[in-house]
Amino acid sequence: MSNDFSQFQDAFFEEAAEHLAVVEEGLLALEQHPEDLDLLNKIFRSAHSIKGTSGMFGFNAVAQFTHKMETLLDLLRNGQKAVTPVIADLLLRSTDCLKTLIDAAKTGSSVDDVTVQRLTEELAASQNASGSQSMPQGNGPSKIKPASAGPELYSYAIAWAPPDWLFQRGLDPQQIFKELADIGTLSQVTVDATKLPELATMDPEKCYLSWRMKFETAKDRQVVDAVFEFVREDSVLTITEEVQGKELEVRGEESPSFVTPDGTESKPKPLGELLVESGVVSRETLNKALSQQKRVGEILVEQHAATPQQISQALQKQQDNAAHAKKGTETASIRVDTDKIDKLINLVGELVITQSMLSDLGSRFEINQLPVLLERMAQLEGNTREIQERVMSIRMLPIGTAFSRFPRLIRDLSANAGKKIQLVLSGEETELDKTVIESIGDPLTHLVRNSADHGLEPPDERLDNNKPELGTIRLNAFHEGGNICITVEDDGRGLNRDKILAKAVKQGLIAENEKLSDDQIWPLIFKPGFSTAEKVTDVSGRGVGMDVVKRNIEGLGGTVKIKTALGKGTVFTLKLPLTLAITEGMTVRVGTETYIVPLLSILESIQPKAGAMKTVVGKGELINVRETYLPMIRMYEVFALQPEYTDPTKAILLILETEGERVAVMVDEILGQQQVVIKSMEKNFRKVDGIAGATILGDGTVGFILDIRGLLEIARRGVAA
Amino acid sequence: MAVATLETATKELNQQIGLPTDGSQYLTFQLGDELYGVDILRVQEIKGYTTVTKIPNTPPHIKGVLNLRGTIVPIVELRTKFGMPTIDYTMFTVIVVVVVRDRIMGLVVDSVSDVLNINKKDIQAPPEFGAKVDVSVLIGIGKSGDKLVALLNIDRLLTEDEQQQESAVANA
Repeated sequence: MSNDFSQFQDAFFEEAAEHLAVVEEGLLALEQHPEDLDLLNKIFRSAHSIKGTSGMFGFNAVAQFTHKMETLLDLLRNGQKAVTPVIADLLLRSTDCLKTLIDAAKTGSSVDDVTVQRLTEELAASQNASGSQSMPQGNGPSKIKPASAGPELYSYAIAWAPPDWLFQRGLDPQQIFKELADIGTLSQVTVDATKLPELATMDPEKCYLSWRMKFETAKDRQVVDAVFEFVREDSVLTITEEVQGKELEVRGEESPSFVTPDGTESKPKPLGELLVESGVVSRETLNKALSQQKRVGEILVEQHAATPQQISQALQKQQDNAAHAKKGTETASIRVDTDKIDKLINLVGELVITQSMLSDLGSRFEINQLPVLLERMAQLEGNTREIQERVMSIRMLPIGTAFSRFPRLIRDLSANAGKKIQLVLSGEETELDKTVIESIGDPLTHLVRNSADHGLEPPDERLDNNKPELGTIRLNAFHEGGNICITVEDDGRGLNRDKILAKAVKQGLIAENEKLSDDQIWPLIFKPGFSTAEKVTDVSGRGVGMDVVKRNIEGLGGTVKIKTALGKGTVFTLKLPLTLAITEGMTVRVGTETYIVPLLSILESIQPKAGAMKTVVGKGELINVRETYLPMIRMYEVFALQPEYTDPTKAILLILETEGERVAVMVDEILGQQQVVIKSMEKNFRKVDGIAGATILGDGTVGFILDIRGLLEIARRGVAA
Repeated sequence: MAVATLETATKELNQQIGLPTDGSQYLTFQLGDELYGVDILRVQEIKGYTTVTKIPNTPPHIKGVLNLRGTIVPIVELRTKFGMPTIDYTMFTVIVVVVVRDRIMGLVVDSVSDVLNINKKDIQAPPEFGAKVDVSVLIGIGKSGDKLVALLNIDRLLTEDEQQQESAVANA
């Protein structure tokens, strides 16, 4: 596809994704309120937009498929067909299929043709069913050819007289021929130029030509029809199917309507469907026959039209193109409310005013104006802070975008597991950083699936336990301090202490008679390979997932907490920083250097008593913190600095936690707590062990943010050496 | 004769107003008594020396990092890098900020001298000193008037350096 639209394609994909989300959301709501016409219109509009734009960009597969969906939606909208669960389900599955088609257009990945084909047929079938509801099914002009087994080439005689506005709308008959040639073999193409006027009187923007041709293809009739999708309006188009030399007229039509003036239904069902309906072949035979449909390449080889080498070369080229297409689509963009931008512009205006007032003051400054200066400085500070907040908020998106996938997930999960589940969402408007939103999607999905599969009991078990049959999963998001909390709550059976303990003992994670508090037991489910589900389902129980959840959340600088009560339910609380670019830190001093310790990893800080230190093997230092011995790291040793204190009883010990491990780190002094903007060290230098990043301190110098895990590793290497 | 004089005059004028002649322009700076040059197109800016933050566990010639208008820039002490004795910083001590393969780095030098045009024909290949002096970081030796300028290959100088550090860290 070598058009000049490539620069707009990213915008198209983004828009398509949004429209798809609207369609899916709408369909889910429609299931609950089948009569809601507004909803239907909304879905229809989005589907229509996808069709329109995808056609414009030449993603014909997408456009054609959406057209099929749209036709069905139109019937629903006109009231010719009622929204039944079957229809809603079909539309939802079609939405999924559309999603893969769009993805395929974007990344060049392959599409499961069989699924597309089947859904197209189902969509068409459901439309026809609707026709028979409102009007009697006529025989129509369609006739059926005798059943025959095996894959088959259909041959058609096509006569096409395009409308004279063809060129004015930017359509090109050549494109049609190219498409036909892509799906089959064209032969005996003749052009009828009799309508062509004298050159002097000819309007070059009008199409005077018409064509006749023979066309052989292994594809279904609908695929052939679809080629003419965009030119059908006002065209005189006759597609006649020829079988064994005998011509069977299938259809002649002049307009895209599928109801002929006499009210009979003329849109043909797929041949297979008709055969099954009339009892000529069974459904199994049909499916078998369909599965034998071969790829174009194989057919060409069979017919000696091309050598296998040529085919594989062409396929290679196709893949190369696809790989090439993939590269270009990596750009990320963000949509921002104009409101946010307007506010930012206002603020910048204020900043400029403050700045000019300050420079005015500076140019003729006298010492008695000091109070004015200080006041203006304060104003500047306020402006700056507000601008910083506003700019950060541009990256902020409501978490609802991450939540929006769950209604569908729950719907499918409840259908699969035979459980009745309602999903309650709240706090969708809570905003957080785009990168965070993108990274919590998967962990959240794991947690929700886990709740649905493990947490909630089957309906009969719920009823036995005096619980409502309908299980509830609650997703909530809210701000707490500088963090955002997301809770995933279910009213299911809760975590079973004994089961987890037994499993942990079996896996050798803990000793058999070890005494553990609840808070120590629950995190065991985050260990890799840990699952207490008795049977493995496709949803969960394989023991992968929970450890990934924990790792992902910790990777974002967040924490996961579990609260559970047996028989009452479980609450998972994810605590995440609002943004990845700013973190809350404790500034500490070692000698003359200042470092920042991420606040999330600090448990407490203590000044140890003289007797609290012990050594192991003469070197490894341990510190007794309320009867637990923790390894102690002297910061100045790890970073080779000149400290103020070498005696731990005079210094401060920070008790830090990293990946479940606790460690005491010795520093000279705690300076304070502040928010720091994280700057990359790798950008101009390289990764430095023990340092997670850099930041600019209040005095303009650079301060380092400590990486506790790295620190531990350096310390251990040092001990080992 | 007259033509030759005119040519030299134009060239001198060009040099004075900083127009490139047929050679390249080099920013020259002083390390002790020696004069060094870097391709001027690689120089982003020159700034006075300010205190840097030491990076723990790095070789001595990595002075530390600096906040350059919000960007974290590593600073290399060239004297240490070349094994020269360190001196106290004066008001002439400057940081030459250069761009090396999309990265920004600073070089601490004794003082900046001049921008010189050096013709290709005035640049000779670095001489061999054997193991005594590592000349791989030099593009060549440039002559400008009676001055001798060691032209630095900063890509080599600063990235090779990094590789060494990395292997040093790996060995530690």
